[in-house]
Amino acid sequence: MSTSFNLDRANEFFSETPMAHWLQTSVREENGPPVYRLTFHEKHIGNPVIRALHGGVIGAYLETIMQGHLIACAPEMSSIRTVSFSVDYLRSSKPQDMHAEVTIERQGRRLAFLSARGWQDEYSKPVALAHAALRTD
Amino acid sequence: MTAEINPEIASMMRAARDMLMHEHSLFASLGIKPILLGVGKTSFSMDLPAEFADRTGQIHGGLYTLLLDSIMGVTCFTALKKLQPIATINLRTDHIAMADPGSRAICTSTCDQIVGDTAYVSSLLTAENDSTLLARSSGAFMIGTRSTPHEETTKGSRL
Repeated sequence: MSTSFNLDRANEFFSETPMAHWLQTSVREENGPPVYRLTFHEKHIGNPVIRALHGGVIGAYLETIMQGHLIACAPEMSSIRTVSFSVDYLRSSKPQDMHAEVTIERQGRRLAFLSARGWQDEYSKPVALAHAALRTD
Repeated sequence: MTAEINPEIASMMRAARDMLMHEHSLFASLGIKPILLGVGKTSFSMDLPAEFADRTGQIHGGLYTLLLDSIMGVTCFTALKKLQPIATINLRTDHIAMADPGSRAICTSTCDQIVGDTAYVSSLLTAENDSTLLARSSGAFMIGTRSTPHEETTKGSRL
């Protein structure tokens, strides 16, 4: 298993994935682990009265970046498929960008288990935490 | 549960439907049509557009999550005895089969139980053309949340 993050490979994954385009997903690498970003757009709003990010948008975003992160860390991998995905919503979101980090908890021969943490204003105040089991080939 | 949806909630749902179908770009693009709308049980059909595909050209699982969260939220509303805001606490989805862009799916949801201020909802997403099971999901919803993020910033967590 490779654990080194390849930024080009992550960007290639997002550019080839229509869902990532719709979510306006990007990633940057500075001194620490890669940080993902959902760039806010009005189409990401769920209830216009509340004006929060749609919970399903947050879930789709965290699932998409977990897939991209795994691809970026495992160059030998040719395909991935989500087996199961879960998300806990810890606090209300705002109509603004969401940042996220992804951790590969375990990567086996056929399955990888990842977690993701999404936040807006402060890292210490996560909006959502997600887990996924991904089937790999 | 009562036999009919609370009239106040039914009225709110009609207004929400009209707004979402005509003014909300996401939901307008999904062509959502009600099949069944009962107390604690709903069924809707919807498009699976190509703009939500994964890199292999199949529908991305994120759209499943988006649809399931939305329909399960509506199902939760139908089971309430009075109109109150709700919020998703958590959602777990098994992605069982891939779907082709341009096809339609049917989402059938049930509010299995309400305990205090928590509703437990489950849902199946199937292909409209051959009933293939695409995904199954279960989630918990908080009933009676405060309604705006602004309030959260001034009064604390919504939960």
